[in-house]
Amino acid sequence: MIAVKNLYKKFDKNMVLSAVSTQVEKGEKVVIIGPSGSGKSTLLRCMNLLEEPTYGEVWVDDQLLTPVDPYLHFDIISLSNTYKKLVASGVSPDEAIVQIKQGDLLKRFEGFEYAAAIKKVRKENGIDINLARRKIGMVFQHFNLFNNKTVIDNMTLAPVLLKLKSKEEAEELAYSLLKRIGLEDKAKVYPSTLSGGQKQRIAIVRALTMTPDYMLFDEPTSALDPEMVGEVLELMKELAESGMTMVIVTHEMGFAREVGTRVVFMADGKIAEEGTPEKIFGDPQSPRLKEFLSKIL
Amino acid sequence: MGYIWQGFGNTLVMTLAAVAIGLVLGFVVAVVKIAALNNKWMKIPAFVCNVYTTVIRGTPVALQLFLMVFAILAFPGFKASAAIITFGINSGAYVSENIRAGILSVDKGQMEAGRSLGIPWTQTMVRIIFPQAIKNVIPAIGNEMIALLKDTSIIGMVGATVGTLTFDLNAASGQIALGLGGAYLAPSLIAGCFYLVVVYAIVLVIKIIEGRLRKSDRR
Ligand SMILES: Nc1ncnc2c1ncn2[C@@H]1O[C@H](COP(=O)(O)OP(=O)(O)OP(=O)(O)O)[C@@H](O)[C@H]1O
Ligand SMILES: [Mg+2]
Repeated sequence: MIAVKNLYKKFDKNMVLSAVSTQVEKGEKVVIIGPSGSGKSTLLRCMNLLEEPTYGEVWVDDQLLTPVDPYLHFDIISLSNTYKKLVASGVSPDEAIVQIKQGDLLKRFEGFEYAAAIKKVRKENGIDINLARRKIGMVFQHFNLFNNKTVIDNMTLAPVLLKLKSKEEAEELAYSLLKRIGLEDKAKVYPSTLSGGQKQRIAIVRALTMTPDYMLFDEPTSALDPEMVGEVLELMKELAESGMTMVIVTHEMGFAREVGTRVVFMADGKIAEEGTPEKIFGDPQSPRLKEFLSKIL
Repeated sequence: MGYIWQGFGNTLVMTLAAVAIGLVLGFVVAVVKIAALNNKWMKIPAFVCNVYTTVIRGTPVALQLFLMVFAILAFPGFKASAAIITFGINSGAYVSENIRAGILSVDKGQMEAGRSLGIPWTQTMVRIIFPQAIKNVIPAIGNEMIALLKDTSIIGMVGATVGTLTFDLNAASGQIALGLGGAYLAPSLIAGCFYLVVVYAIVLVIKIIEGRLRKSDRR
């Protein structure tokens, strides 16, 4: 399970995500759609902390990836000096919490008790981000194959470097994956000699060499020539059928409808509507979604 | 002519030593500055590095040489070393900017791909980013070496004296000219040829290295 709780992301003064909460269960294929600039990529990148949220928490399998967000923990807020001051000045405890949350009143230093409480949560649930990322594969719009490595080295680098597999095991897995996508003959070439579709399919199987539990896709077909979109979607479909948990940002509505188990519609940095593909595409509720669909379909 | 050969050797040694210092220093400074972009613990070291590059690049190398040789490192018998250190420090500031630009010129998707696979920052840097950055940096480093080679010609200003016999190439030609009663033309031309040959050699070596490093590009 990947859970994001009350996620906020600010770039300078620009609030790109506000109060986004959602949860991706094992086996789900969640498709994120929405207009350009609505924060889809940012949300996805927060899930493996390529982007660090401003507030809020990201959880993967009951492990906390982000710093502890005090605003999500009533008991921690109530240990803060600000809270104590408010209560001492006659504000009711509930009202104090609300005021603190709404006004973003917590300061950097809120006393020893508060700091200790935060440290405790972190210690009990926190995890090294590099360990968490091994479980979460990511596929980028621009492939991001390592330019200075051959295809096979691209695929074996991480598992060997991180001592998860011996070189032989890693190569065996890599070759079997290449075979599955029909590109064994490309093992020894550099990425610059490949077509976009080939690059993206290799990027997908490169992520699979880490045997991840989750896969994140950020517009995996948007940078491809039209005739190559099909081969990549086909591979993703296979992956979906094999039971992989997937979160996919895409403009391919046909794919979303066919493969998605849940569709999340984002607008202005918020989740504006979510539901099954039938519901989202067949019976949209919010005006924003209706407008978006009318433009795109 | 003996002076010329001696000066030639001195110039080469000084340049190489200064280049070595400059490369190490430049590399460290560049990495610190890049690391500070997403690591708050590196902010203070990065500030120090910024002061370093600003001051060094903002003042003439001749001034730095005088300051080091006659004030900061004015130990007896230390002139040559002080000069080498000065040129190393000076070169480091320029090299660091070249290396930094080289690292930043690598598509940031490369780092993201590495990190998304769970590879730590340092390892991604070493395995993925540096090898690609080097390719972009080599020509600039070559230029920097050439500039440094020629910069060392000012070293005579701080004391290439007959007593210690530590001439660089330029000072040597001047010395010969004095010996010839001020006939600067011939010795200067000869020294110039030596400089030219070394510069051309550097250019060739850089070309060869560049060619080697291009093997992962489309052929
Ligand atoms: N690194 C960044 N620095 C500053 N602003 C950013 C950064 N990344 C994204 N933004 C801004 O955040 C907003 C949301 O960006 P995001 O990439 O998440 O949108 P998106 O929904 O993925 O859009 P698209 O469909 O165009 O990919 C945009 O306004 C963008 O300009
Ligand atoms: Mg995007």
